[in-house]
Amino acid sequence: MPSDPSRASAPAIRTSGLGLFASEVRVLFARRRTWALLAALAAVPVLIAIAIRLSSDGDARGGGPPFLGSITQNGLFVALTGLAVSIPLFLPLTIGVVAGDTIAGEANLGTLRYLLVAPVARVRLLIVKFAVAALFCFAATLTIVLAGTAIGAALFPVGPVPLLSGDTIGVGEYALRALLLAAYVAVSLLGLSAVGLFISTLTTVPVGAMAATIVLAAVSQILGALPQLEWLHPWLFSHHWFGFADLMRQPISFGTFGDNALLQLGYIAVFGALAYGRFATKDILS
Amino acid sequence: MSSKWMRWLPAAIVPAVVVTAAVAIPATAGAAPTLPEKSADEVLAMIADSTGVAFSGTLEQRSDLGLPDIPTTPGSSELPTGALEFLTGSHTVRAFVGDSSSVRLQVLDDMAERDVIINGDELWLYDSDPNEAVHVTLPEGTTAAIDAHAGGDAYPGYTGPRTPAEVATRLIEAIDPSTSVSVATTALVAGRSVYQLSLDPKSSETLVDGVTLSVDSETGLPLRVEVTAVGQDDPAVSLGFSAIDFSAPDASLFDFSPPAGATVTEKPIDPEALERRLSKHSAAHGALDAPHPTDPNEDHLAKHLPGVDAAGAEGAPAVYGSGWDAVVALPAMPDAAFPMGTDAGGTPASAAETAQLLEQLTTDVEGGRVLSTALVTVLITDDGRIFAGAVPVERLQAAAAGALER
Repeated sequence: MPSDPSRASAPAIRTSGLGLFASEVRVLFARRRTWALLAALAAVPVLIAIAIRLSSDGDARGGGPPFLGSITQNGLFVALTGLAVSIPLFLPLTIGVVAGDTIAGEANLGTLRYLLVAPVARVRLLIVKFAVAALFCFAATLTIVLAGTAIGAALFPVGPVPLLSGDTIGVGEYALRALLLAAYVAVSLLGLSAVGLFISTLTTVPVGAMAATIVLAAVSQILGALPQLEWLHPWLFSHHWFGFADLMRQPISFGTFGDNALLQLGYIAVFGALAYGRFATKDILS
Repeated sequence: MSSKWMRWLPAAIVPAVVVTAAVAIPATAGAAPTLPEKSADEVLAMIADSTGVAFSGTLEQRSDLGLPDIPTTPGSSELPTGALEFLTGSHTVRAFVGDSSSVRLQVLDDMAERDVIINGDELWLYDSDPNEAVHVTLPEGTTAAIDAHAGGDAYPGYTGPRTPAEVATRLIEAIDPSTSVSVATTALVAGRSVYQLSLDPKSSETLVDGVTLSVDSETGLPLRVEVTAVGQDDPAVSLGFSAIDFSAPDASLFDFSPPAGATVTEKPIDPEALERRLSKHSAAHGALDAPHPTDPNEDHLAKHLPGVDAAGAEGAPAVYGSGWDAVVALPAMPDAAFPMGTDAGGTPASAAETAQLLEQLTTDVEGGRVLSTALVTVLITDDGRIFAGAVPVERLQAAAAGALER
C-alpha cells in the first residue's frame, strides 16, 4: 500500500529484533484496514446490546448464544455474549486477514526484498511477523470485551455478576475475569495465526492466504462438530475455543486455560517450523 | 543443495517431537507403585475409616455401554433423555468435600453448570442454564446421618454423578457371598498410589465381568470405580479422579446463596421419608425381599433411571435370584408407559417422544422389545411387564416365562 507512512521510513532501526517489532506494530496499526477490522469486531457486542434493548420485553432465555438471557439483568454480560458470538466466525475472519497477509502481503507489494536487504535474518522476520499477528489477536478480543462492557454499561443496569456456579462476584473481580477471558480467547487464536503465517509463506497472493486460513478455521470447527471423528477432536486448534466458560466458575478453573495454551503452543511449534522451512528455502523474487 | 534441505530439518523434527510428546507423556504416567501388602479386609477397613477426609478434586465419568447415540440435552427436563444422559458420553465433575456436612459437587457442562451444595442442614441444587435453584432445609438430627460417603439418597432431586466414595460405599454394602473380593494390584490414580480392590461376580450368568475400586493408599478414600462388562477390555463405566488435592477446601465454597434473578423453589422435606430412606440405605442388604435391587450395579443404575426407582418405592417389583445375576421385574404399567417416560422432575414426557426414543433404543426379540447395553439389559414384554438385570436377555426371557425362582 503506497499510503503506508512508516513502511518507507527507518530501515536502520530494523536491524534489532525489538526495533523491527516496533516498526511492524506501527505498520499494522497505521493501516486503515486494521482499524476497520477492529471496528467490525466492536460492532458485534454493540449490535447485540441494541437489539436486546429494543426488544427488551423480557426473556431471551432458552435459546440463542450463551449469556444472552442474562444481559437484561446485567449489562456486563454483553461482553461475554459478544465474545461467544465472535469466536466461530468474526474472530477467525479478522485473524485470517492479518495472519494471511504477514508474508504474502509484503511479497505482493514487493517490499519483502527490501525488508530482507537490511541485515534481518529470515527467521527473525518470521518471529516478528508472528508476534505482530499475536498482538492483533489480543487487540481483537480486548476490543470486543471493552466495547461490550461499555455498551452494556450504557444500556443496562450493572451490578455484581453471577457466575455459572451460582456464586456472585463483585464488579472488580469481574473486570479481572473479563481480562482473563480476553486473554483466553486471544491465546486460542494463536494456533490459527501460526497456520496463517505458514500459508502466507506459500504464496505471493495475500487474498489467497487469507481465504485459505479462514477456510481452515471453518474446516476445523466442522470436524470438531462431527461425533464420528471424536478421536481427532483434541488435536484440532478449535477444540478449546468455547472452553472459556471455565473462567466463569467458582472457584476459577485454570485447567482448560492450560490445556488450550499447550495445544496452541503445539500448533505454533509445528507450523512455525514449517513456515521456517518454507521461508528459509524460498527464493525471494519480490 | 544440501543447506537448503538442512533448513527443512526443523519442519520435519518439530512436528515429530510434538506428536510424540503428546502421545507418549500421558501413556507413561502410570507405573505401578510398590506398597505394603494388604488383604482385602484391610483395604475395606481403610475405606470405612476414610469418612471425613477433606479434599477437592476433579472427577471424570465415562460410560461406554454400547447405547446408540441419543440426542441428549444437558439439563433438559422436557425430554426423557435427562436420565439417560449419565449413561452415555462423559462428564467432568468438580468435587469439594470439607467434612461430612459440607459437600459441593459441580457438573461442568458446556457453558453451564449444575451444582449440589450441602452446608450443615442446608441443601441447595443450582442449575445455571434455566437459572433455577432448589433449597431444602434438612430436618434437625438428620444432618449427622448424611455423610459424603452415604451420599446417594442424601441429595433429593439430584440425578447427577456421585463421588467414587459414594458409589464404592454402596457397592461394598452390597457385597454378599456371590462376590469374590480380592486385592488385585497397585496402580496410580490422579498421581496417588492406590490399592485396587476387585469385586468379581461368581456367577457366570451376569454381564458384569468385574468391578475395580482404586483406594488411596494413604487416606483410604476410593479414588476410582470401574465396571467392566464381559467381553470388553475397556471399562463400560468409569468414575474417577483425574486430579485430587487433600487440603480442606475454602469454607466460602459451601456458603451458597443463589444469584439475583434466579428462580428459587423451597422444597419442604418430609423428615420421616428421609429417615426411612437413610435407614433403608444402611439396612441389611442382600435380603431377597429388599425393596430395591440387590445387585450393586443394578442398584447404582437404578438411581439414574428414576422411573425404576419410583416404581420401586411402591414396593411392587419382584426380584428373581440374588446377587449379580438377579432379575428385577416390574408389573405391567396401567398405560404400559416406558418407565423412563417420567423424568426426575416428574414431568411426563410426551407420548410421541417416548415412543420414538423407545423405538430408537430397543430391538425386537421373542416376547417383547429389549434394550441392550454392555452392562444392563431391559426387556419390555408385549403385555407391558418390565424385566431388568445385569444379565443376558435369555435370562430375562426365562424370568418372563416364569422359569426362574422368585
